[in-house]
Amino acid sequence: MERRISVRVQLAKFLILVLIMLSAESSWAEATVVLVTGKGSPIEHISSLDIRKAYLGILVKIDEKTVHPVRRRDDKHLNQIFLQSVIAMSQRSYERRLLSLLLRLGTPRPVMVNDNDALVQMLTSRPIAIGYMWKSDAEADDRVRIIKVLWQET
Amino acid sequence: MIRKRRSASCRHRWPIRLARTVLLAALWFSQAVRADSQHDFLVFLSAERFETFSASEPELEGLSNRATADFLYVYNSDRFRVLGEYIWSDSESELERLKMGWEFDEQSVLWFGRFHAISNYWTTEYHHGQYMQTSISRPGLEQWEDKSGPMPSHITGLWLEKDFSPNARSSLSLGLAAGLAPKFVEDQLVPFDVLEPESGQDLSISTRLVLRPDALSTNQVGVSLAHNDIAVVSESSPELADLSAIRQTTLGIFSNWQLRDWRLSTHWVYFDIDMKYFDGSVREDFVLGYLQTEYEATEDWTIFGRVEVGFGEDSSRYLQLLPAFIAHRHMLGVRWDFAASHGLTLELAETSTQGTESMHDSFKEFRLQWSAVFP
Repeated sequence: MERRISVRVQLAKFLILVLIMLSAESSWAEATVVLVTGKGSPIEHISSLDIRKAYLGILVKIDEKTVHPVRRRDDKHLNQIFLQSVIAMSQRSYERRLLSLLLRLGTPRPVMVNDNDALVQMLTSRPIAIGYMWKSDAEADDRVRIIKVLWQET
Repeated sequence: MIRKRRSASCRHRWPIRLARTVLLAALWFSQAVRADSQHDFLVFLSAERFETFSASEPELEGLSNRATADFLYVYNSDRFRVLGEYIWSDSESELERLKMGWEFDEQSVLWFGRFHAISNYWTTEYHHGQYMQTSISRPGLEQWEDKSGPMPSHITGLWLEKDFSPNARSSLSLGLAAGLAPKFVEDQLVPFDVLEPESGQDLSISTRLVLRPDALSTNQVGVSLAHNDIAVVSESSPELADLSAIRQTTLGIFSNWQLRDWRLSTHWVYFDIDMKYFDGSVREDFVLGYLQTEYEATEDWTIFGRVEVGFGEDSSRYLQLLPAFIAHRHMLGVRWDFAASHGLTLELAETSTQGTESMHDSFKEFRLQWSAVFP
């Protein structure tokens, strides 16, 4: 009887371990930020410098068309990673920079969207638009295409 | 007689007709290109407490408490832009900027309308967005016309801005502007008002060259050259009774440089002034400039200071026409940035205004300000 209980306890421990490993694997897979565009977009490649330029309000063209960067408002963690690894600025410095360009030259700020779905809609309605999201979200949505990995947890 | 009156009336109304035509054209055009358009609307708010301490009452801004709202609207399509800026405060309500821009190639924009003079570095950097500038006060050299600023701040005309990129990382911008200069009325320069147009302005032409070694940073160094033919309304003040015109030529050099937590901004301007009197002319020159240093102690706290000086300006007849012009200032301040976009700033300064004779009027200043931008 005691042996049977011990086997059950061990089995439960094993299952818990498996669950922990699975959840760890899933969060590890999520901790990758990718640059995406709409499925039908002609954008095949864009350099890191051009991504930074586009998000800093500097004109970037691909195939003679202006690249429209799209920002996320909802995911604080995603935004933090994006600002640190791609823009290399604090949130406040970045906002000030965009405000300054708008105030001085009327340069439009990147469009802000509230969630993943709004981002995808924006990317599919504007063929030369780019945005960023978690890799797992991008892979789960067949309306978007991954252009490059922006950040990966090491 | 009637015909003459009509003709005079028509002459005075041509700027209104022109403005209407341009606005209608802009509206039509914005409809035509709205497929890929974007609108932006911002409100810059500020509230300020201002005190002076001196034996004599200085002739300065006049208000100890001041609330200001600056409304900015921007319309963008692929090649067409409209920018309007309207300011409202306890002391003024004015359309500051209204300009329409056409991007005729990737790196060139031609603007038409009322804009801020491109030779004024501070003005073209911060405009009326009080939240955007670290300090509360503006340098006297870059003060607005109605605050005894010595240089024209508002021009109505054409402005071409062209960017050259020597390589992928750096940029060189060339600006060329021509339009209506302000006229001198009573004790200040008065720019052309788009909403209440009056004739009598002369020509302003200016150019500016700005180098940004790293196009992605705000670091820049530039030179400017401007010539302003300033018409004088002689009957508006006894001080102007014998004066018919002022020819002002300026040569400026400016820089804004950030190195780690330090930022340095400076602007020096050489003035060549030709005062045209009815019985002859008087020529003079002087240099005005400032140096502002900022230290970002933490992400939220910034300590800053500014020194404003002049060389050869003490006995300037032109500056004596602007008695509230800030000739010298030694200022220290601290700014606290809080929440998403709010700032609280404190400033203390030892200041001298030009005064009406060769002796400056000195006093101490205390300023406290809240500023913010929405949304």
